[in-house]
Amino acid sequence: MHTNGQNIIVSGGSRGLGLHLVSQLLKNGNKVATFARTRTPEMDALDKEYGDSFHFASVDAVDADKVNGFVAEVCDKFGGRLDSIVNNAAIGQDQLLMHTDLDTIQQIVNINIVGPTILIRAAIKRMMLQGGGNICNISSICGSRGYAGLSVYAGSKGYLDAMTRALAREVGEAGIFINCVAPGFFESEMSSVLRPEQLNTIKRRTPSGSLSNDENIFKVVDMVISGTTNMQGQVVFVDGGITS
Amino acid sequence: MERQEILDTMNLVMTNKGREPITDETVATRDANFRSLDFSEVALRIETKLGRELTFDAAAMRNIDTVKDVLDFFEKATA
Ligand SMILES: NC(=O)c1ccc[n+]([C@@H]2O[C@H](COP(=O)([O-])OP(=O)(O)OC[C@H]3O[C@@H](n4cnc5c(N)ncnc54)[C@H](OP(=O)(O)O)[C@@H]3O)[C@@H](O)[C@H]2O)c1
Repeated sequence: MHTNGQNIIVSGGSRGLGLHLVSQLLKNGNKVATFARTRTPEMDALDKEYGDSFHFASVDAVDADKVNGFVAEVCDKFGGRLDSIVNNAAIGQDQLLMHTDLDTIQQIVNINIVGPTILIRAAIKRMMLQGGGNICNISSICGSRGYAGLSVYAGSKGYLDAMTRALAREVGEAGIFINCVAPGFFESEMSSVLRPEQLNTIKRRTPSGSLSNDENIFKVVDMVISGTTNMQGQVVFVDGGITS
Repeated sequence: MERQEILDTMNLVMTNKGREPITDETVATRDANFRSLDFSEVALRIETKLGRELTFDAAAMRNIDTVKDVLDFFEKATA
């Protein structure tokens, strides 16, 4: 039984995992809104296929006014309620800290930390007033395990994990469920910096023998935002067991 | 920065760690026992000499196989 009939915001749904989440949630009968900095042809296709059940806008996740405006616009368009959000937009890193310039560090912190915080803040204000909702933060195994070249990115994902636990205590009583889904490496533009040998090494070290794919992750996200699990403040790993 | 100066910096890092200096550009970094953190140390020593930061992706480091690649990399990065 899939989540259906909800009004959902997914950040960064223009490509990669976010696009898969948006497409599947729409297919299952939800109204879905998403934003990214750049509109992709896939957004036009979803617009055409789903009409008023779909909404896209070009918004930078770090622009608080635009994000707040987006949330208000979506709630108006979808009839008032905001049932769930999925914080998916992020940027990666592939640099040792000592060779990373300060602008890049600042950009990762802004997009991966400040960005989701702005969206969560806007969402919980709505959810408080309507009596509940579901928040799913897309974290990463990097938030809990060390990988060279990913220090700032890892810190940003650890932040999401920690904030999720704190917010579960802060707003749980209001019927807001907040959890993280932490995937292992999967194929996307973000992980395209990894060479085939590296991906093979990761696969070899993974108990299930395979990397997670978009659909594996969607299934867990779908469960997390279903509002039927009583799961609260948790980080769920979808990584074939590499962190086990 | 001159190629020889880069090689001298590599060899300073090597000899400081009690390893043999490198004489042959064609040798693989792995065979020369020149490790990825040695590469970073060379970058930092060059930064100090030049008085400016060198920033680059880990992907650039992963593409390095031989001592020649290291020299080419820093020659280009400091040009
Ligand atoms: N790929 C992996 O191996 C992996 C592993 C574990 C966790 N994750 C996590 O999974 C999530 C999705 O990753 P992915 O691999 O699908 O990434 P991706 O293919 O690079 O897509 C990222 C999405 O986020 C959007 N985005 C980035 N910066 C933004 C900003 N400032 N404002 C608004 N939107 C922004 C991008 O659109 P624009 O660039 O047009 O803005 C795009 O839609 C991320 O949270 C990532 O950290 C990925």
